[in-house]
Amino acid sequence: MGAMEGLMQGIQVAFSWQGILFVLIGVVAGTLIGMMPGLGPISAIAIMIPITYGMDPSVALVMMAGVYYGAVFGGSTSSILLNAPGISGTVATSFDGYPMAQRGEAGKALAIAAISSFVGGTVSVVLLMLFAPALSAVAVSFGPPQYFALMFLGLTAIASLSDGSTIKALITATIGFMVATIGIDGQTGTSRFTFGNPNLLEGIDFLVIALGLFALAEICFLVKNRKDQSLQNQGDIGSLKLSKADFKEMRGPMSRQSFLGFILGVLPGAGATIASFIGYISEKKIAKNPKEFGKGSIKGLSAPETANNAATSGAFVPLLSLGIPGSGTTAVMLGAFLVLGIQPGPLLMADRPEVFWGIIASMYIGNIFLLILNLPLIPYIAKILKIARPMLISLVAIFSLIGVYAISFSTFDLYLLLIFGFVGYLMRLFSFPAAPFILAFILGGMMEQSLRQSLTAAGGDMIILISDPVSIGLYIVSILSFVVPIVRNRKNAQADQAEEESNAS
Amino acid sequence: MKKHLWMMGSLLIVLFLAACGGDSSETSGDGGDGEWTPDKNIEIVAPAGAGGGWDTTARSVGKILEEEGITEQNVGVVNKEGGGGAVGWSYINSTNNPHNIFVSSPPLIFVPLNGQSDLSHEDFTPLSNMIADYAAFAVADDAKWQDLNELFEDMKNDPSSVTVVGTSSPGSMDHMQFVTIAKEAGVDIQKIKYVSAQDGGGMTQILNGSADVYSTGIAETVEQVKAGKVRVLGITAEERLDGEVLEDFPTAKEQGIDATFVNWRGFFGPGDMTEGQVAYYEENLKEVSDSEAFAEIRNNYGWDEMYMNSEEYSQFLDEQREQLGSLMEELGLNQ
Repeated sequence: MGAMEGLMQGIQVAFSWQGILFVLIGVVAGTLIGMMPGLGPISAIAIMIPITYGMDPSVALVMMAGVYYGAVFGGSTSSILLNAPGISGTVATSFDGYPMAQRGEAGKALAIAAISSFVGGTVSVVLLMLFAPALSAVAVSFGPPQYFALMFLGLTAIASLSDGSTIKALITATIGFMVATIGIDGQTGTSRFTFGNPNLLEGIDFLVIALGLFALAEICFLVKNRKDQSLQNQGDIGSLKLSKADFKEMRGPMSRQSFLGFILGVLPGAGATIASFIGYISEKKIAKNPKEFGKGSIKGLSAPETANNAATSGAFVPLLSLGIPGSGTTAVMLGAFLVLGIQPGPLLMADRPEVFWGIIASMYIGNIFLLILNLPLIPYIAKILKIARPMLISLVAIFSLIGVYAISFSTFDLYLLLIFGFVGYLMRLFSFPAAPFILAFILGGMMEQSLRQSLTAAGGDMIILISDPVSIGLYIVSILSFVVPIVRNRKNAQADQAEEESNAS
Repeated sequence: MKKHLWMMGSLLIVLFLAACGGDSSETSGDGGDGEWTPDKNIEIVAPAGAGGGWDTTARSVGKILEEEGITEQNVGVVNKEGGGGAVGWSYINSTNNPHNIFVSSPPLIFVPLNGQSDLSHEDFTPLSNMIADYAAFAVADDAKWQDLNELFEDMKNDPSSVTVVGTSSPGSMDHMQFVTIAKEAGVDIQKIKYVSAQDGGGMTQILNGSADVYSTGIAETVEQVKAGKVRVLGITAEERLDGEVLEDFPTAKEQGIDATFVNWRGFFGPGDMTEGQVAYYEENLKEVSDSEAFAEIRNNYGWDEMYMNSEEYSQFLDEQREQLGSLMEELGLNQ
């Protein structure tokens, strides 16, 4: 009965005129900030914190939550249009979104992203509402061995993220792992590969690498190919309209990834990034035409966009019901709660039901606002591509620099960004894929730490890694995801051998 | 290939230009020994990300300085995250501007001892200590230990049977606060199994049984204790604290372990400050410390009042360094 009353109180907050007004302000601010390449939810929330001083806490938090998922919603824009992911959760979006935009279908790509985000966001809010209290048990169910297994599953993606040579994908992944070890090692407190530079002690920020390898490398390429006529139609926005066939394509990924993304979002530490990668890979694995992925596939765009928005709602489970921030963004969010005198935790639902349920209920409204706002805006947003090429290139460069500078306000990161831009350019020249690098970088650090935490706790006994059903299940899925495509490819290979040969040349 | 060379060349030029633009430094304030007042905004550096203890202290003190009209200038808080504080410290050291001060706590002792920063507390001017916070050692509610003595008894028999989890890396706060108490209880501190888990992993790990003891700050445990999910075996304060829930936490001392660990937090300025500048901050920070607004904040976060002026503070820090340094030497973490 208590939960029902609480829910009613929450709905009252969410549907009060203040609730509706501030969720609107939140999602608008969030999408706008999220759309800037380099600025993601962390900066969006941090920018908004001072505005909330003195506001009614539940209304303020409804707004902050709106900023958060609004920024994730808007984050896909820069990935799709400019290949400049602002947050780790939208890296996978650029794999198929950017090729689609280059093909002259930017409008369609943005529409697919918006609709997928909306579905992912809305379905996961329903799940959040129904299961948030019960799911807090799921959120703490993963210990280090299970995280290790989950990261392992994520890594099986490396092979499938390479279009050409698997060897090259493995090489870049290895470099990604190496870069992930830079900084203070959590388990011993030793500085690794920091060369006595205090700026490297906390490791290299994800954004530096993503913007370097994707955005700056892309800029270099655009500059180099500026006279290339084949890219002329990139300025085209194309039609926004999605055909029935398009919807049919999206239906599968949207329905599956809403659930998968939500569950992965619930796990602290996994979050939107892992959800989007696993969403992308799992759809590629089960797709009839996996070869389309990476070349502007609708499924390949819809899957990560659904998953990262679903995961964003999922991340509210540990935050609200346990007071555990599972990521950098939710940690800042937790800070925003504390500034307003609200302590999230197991008692929040009972003590402050209007806050707990208010945030959840407002997410429905927020997601609808996001869709209504975004769809009509797409033609205008996509016009960015019509900006004269030299101007566009400099804008992307400037925003990348601003985004990186905003992480820690240190010029050191800017040098790093340029270095990674240069590395990314070289990688593209010699057709080394950048995606495995970034995946290995994101997963590698967490994977190493959870492996070592497991082994320390078990006194060095490797059995701990395979001693429970969850980990074993995850390893089985990993192995299947390796074996099944190989078997299937063999069958297909016999069928279209001739085509293979012509492709190889 | 010519195009490639052109690209590389232009990137190098950008790199070069950025390098040239990097070292614009600013100096201001007056150099005299007399009274000093800031002639521009004061910047409080929190050498960590938003939301942590340093950030909270910096923001709440900054807010009171401004709102209560203690300073005429605006007070801004800047986060300089990195290296467990080292990035913020080197920023203060290199800008060397009396308008820039920073908030710090025991890591200012640990990090240099660990060899992760060349700068130590001696390179800065202690201005005022503001508050004391204490550590709590929490276990899941279904754990077999009822108090610290039972836990340490088991650890004395077999140190490897207990896994301790904390957020910071070995040789920093969460590890050392546990070691300080365990050492006094007679545990072989070299054999303690300690894992570090970020992103809220510590609480998660004791809740799901991956680790046994969570070494953390008191505030982090309160909500979970209220909900009956975890139990606090002991805290490192001298006496029991006031406040609902907090007053139920037993100290290590009352359990017969004669050791405390204070997570002090205060403000520092760059190395060479004039007497007038030190006096200015001492005075204003004392006013903050005595204000009702700050009393309320202390109450909210469960912090203790612990004001020290510049001189007392610097003496206190020397003692801390000696005490913790010898512990770290025993652990082989001293570099």
